[in-house]
Amino acid sequence: MKCKRCRKADAAVDLPSHNSAFCPGCFFLFFRRQVVEGIRTLSLLSPEDRVLVCVSGGKDSLVLWDVLMELGYRTEGLHIDLGIEGYSDRSREKVLAYAGARGKEPIVVDLRAEGIPIPEAAKRARKEECSVCGTVKRYFFNRIAARRGFTVVATGHNLDDESARLLGNLLHWDQDHLSRQHPLLPEMAEGLVRKVKPLWRVSELETAAYGFLSGIDYVTEECPMSLDATSLVYKEALSLIEEKMPGTRRHFYQGFLHQNRDVPGNSGAPGRRECGNHDEKNTGGEASPPRKCISCDAPTYTETCSYCRLKERVTKARERL
Amino acid sequence: MIRVRIPQKNKELEVPGPRRVGDLLAAAGIRPTTVIVTQGKRLLTRDQRVEDGETIDILSVVSGG
Repeated sequence: MKCKRCRKADAAVDLPSHNSAFCPGCFFLFFRRQVVEGIRTLSLLSPEDRVLVCVSGGKDSLVLWDVLMELGYRTEGLHIDLGIEGYSDRSREKVLAYAGARGKEPIVVDLRAEGIPIPEAAKRARKEECSVCGTVKRYFFNRIAARRGFTVVATGHNLDDESARLLGNLLHWDQDHLSRQHPLLPEMAEGLVRKVKPLWRVSELETAAYGFLSGIDYVTEECPMSLDATSLVYKEALSLIEEKMPGTRRHFYQGFLHQNRDVPGNSGAPGRRECGNHDEKNTGGEASPPRKCISCDAPTYTETCSYCRLKERVTKARERL
Repeated sequence: MIRVRIPQKNKELEVPGPRRVGDLLAAAGIRPTTVIVTQGKRLLTRDQRVEDGETIDILSVVSGG
């Protein structure tokens, strides 16, 4: 199969969803254009932004950082070491090696040092690991960004992640989550910085192909905590449909965005949680601004923020031993 | 025989060749949209033929977080 763009070189990536196939050089062009288009159409980033890129060590986040640097954005990496034995050590090594080779030094938050490693925290708080992980990550994304003067936080969520999430939200008619699902969550208050997902137009396969062809050494093993994640079920269902009807996943998600053009937080829908932190519930009415957590000063709609509540629960459970 | 490695599952198969990548994936019950197939530093498309004595790697691209 020849590249459908240059028609000279052999294709290395075939993309039935785009009715296309590309050689490595043309694929890089295609991929970067998809990211640029995703950023442009939704005004995710501006050249003045200081971008905090959350890097787990997996393909999506490292590719995101790579592309944003290529495109000339001012970026720094943030790695949260989740404290998962073995897996977290290997992930951290990949991030440090990637960054070091590019003259970068990522910011590292070590959850063991913070006293809240995910496996132990989930066990002590009697909560799902992924739920605890989400709470802790969002807290540090906001905190590090706000304290160090970043204007935006970027994560490596891709088309497959977002369409799987959309399918899950639709199957449960979760209006609350549907109203917030968007590649752009604006800054809603001091300390709740803007969140963007610049890879929302590219698939996991495209991201993996980009990572492989770029020689990015990423963690290929799955997080051991996420093996039963429901998102995998939705992804499998969508990949079955995608195989029979290429391009459906893209139409599904882009159609959703087209129908819901309001950026979360800008439309003023009653009852909406209008902030970038999914854990903090706005119970004080639509217009009420968040206040400061009595324990850590983070923005919250309750007296104590969700992270501090979680940490207190874990600490108390540990003391009872 | 073609050596098919699936490193994320610590699995290795031997399949008689030659075969196209798409046929190899179908034989292994793997959906093509969920993996990339590599041979050394090359990415293989579904229509590419793999010969007897060659080795390929199948890498899952699906992440669960």
